[in-house]
Amino acid sequence: MEDIPDDESWRDWFQHYGPKLLLCARQWTRSLADAEDVVQEAFVRFWRHQRKLGGEPQALLFTSVRRAATDLARRNARRSAREERAEGGRELLEPVFEIPQEGDDRRSDIETALRGLPPEQREVLVLKIWGELTFEQIATQLRIPPNTAASRYRYALAALREALSAADCHG
Amino acid sequence: MDKELLELEAELKRLRPVLPSRELTAAIGRDLAAPPVRRNFWAWAALPLAAVAAGVLLLQPTPKLAPTPAVAQATPVAPVTPVAKFKPVSAENVLYAQSDDGLVTLADGTTALRYRSSYVDTITWKNPNTQASLRWSVPRTEERVVPVSFQ
Repeated sequence: MEDIPDDESWRDWFQHYGPKLLLCARQWTRSLADAEDVVQEAFVRFWRHQRKLGGEPQALLFTSVRRAATDLARRNARRSAREERAEGGRELLEPVFEIPQEGDDRRSDIETALRGLPPEQREVLVLKIWGELTFEQIATQLRIPPNTAASRYRYALAALREALSAADCHG
Repeated sequence: MDKELLELEAELKRLRPVLPSRELTAAIGRDLAAPPVRRNFWAWAALPLAAVAAGVLLLQPTPKLAPTPAVAQATPVAPVTPVAKFKPVSAENVLYAQSDDGLVTLADGTTALRYRSSYVDTITWKNPNTQASLRWSVPRTEERVVPVSFQ
């Protein structure tokens, strides 16, 4: 991705990249509200201080989002388990993808299957498919070898296929 | 990957993540419109920045000067920009302490709540040609001041 021109509006940039940032943030947070807080903090920090660094702004922003999510998790660590369970229950009902005109059942099945993936596989899948990062960039983000990122991606796709096949059989 | 996985991959790519809410966009707009919080970043950054600049220059291979004929010396030489070879690959901000100063009175007499957050910012550059990397960490304190009104 090219560098951001000085005169580009943050709104244009956010309109284009906001959905994928929010989706990634949701992989690292417990609720939609937390994910929005994380995206807000990371985006403002990026826009003010990091966008002039050059290089790959999208990769930098994902790092910022992940770090903000980690900080938030640390701040929230003292919250009670009961509160956490209550929030988790509500958030399961929140769709993470736009609802298509048709095939909503399929979207719902995919979301359910995604939630069922191990977190380390899901975050790689989300960063690759919707974050459009390379395995090299994902490896840098997650501090894992690129081969591990590629393996987790393949395992995630295989697990999704299995889960969706099971859903098709039962649906 | 087999054909079935490739089809699944293509299907996933067609799904569009939900748009951020208007409230989120408005909140970002408010944050960006507000003046930045006071930061003592550059006071901390001056020395590490100088160290980084020196480090980048030291990491560059020393050009070997071979004896060249006088004609060759007349050829214009492109300016060397060693720093451009390094590209930032990650920028992290690790929060390691937070404190709440409670109610304070600002210089203009306004009453406000003041929060302090202490971070370590780490930026990593990488040279894709040589895989050499350079990491710069600097402590930073942010003060967030939220005016309050009593009714």
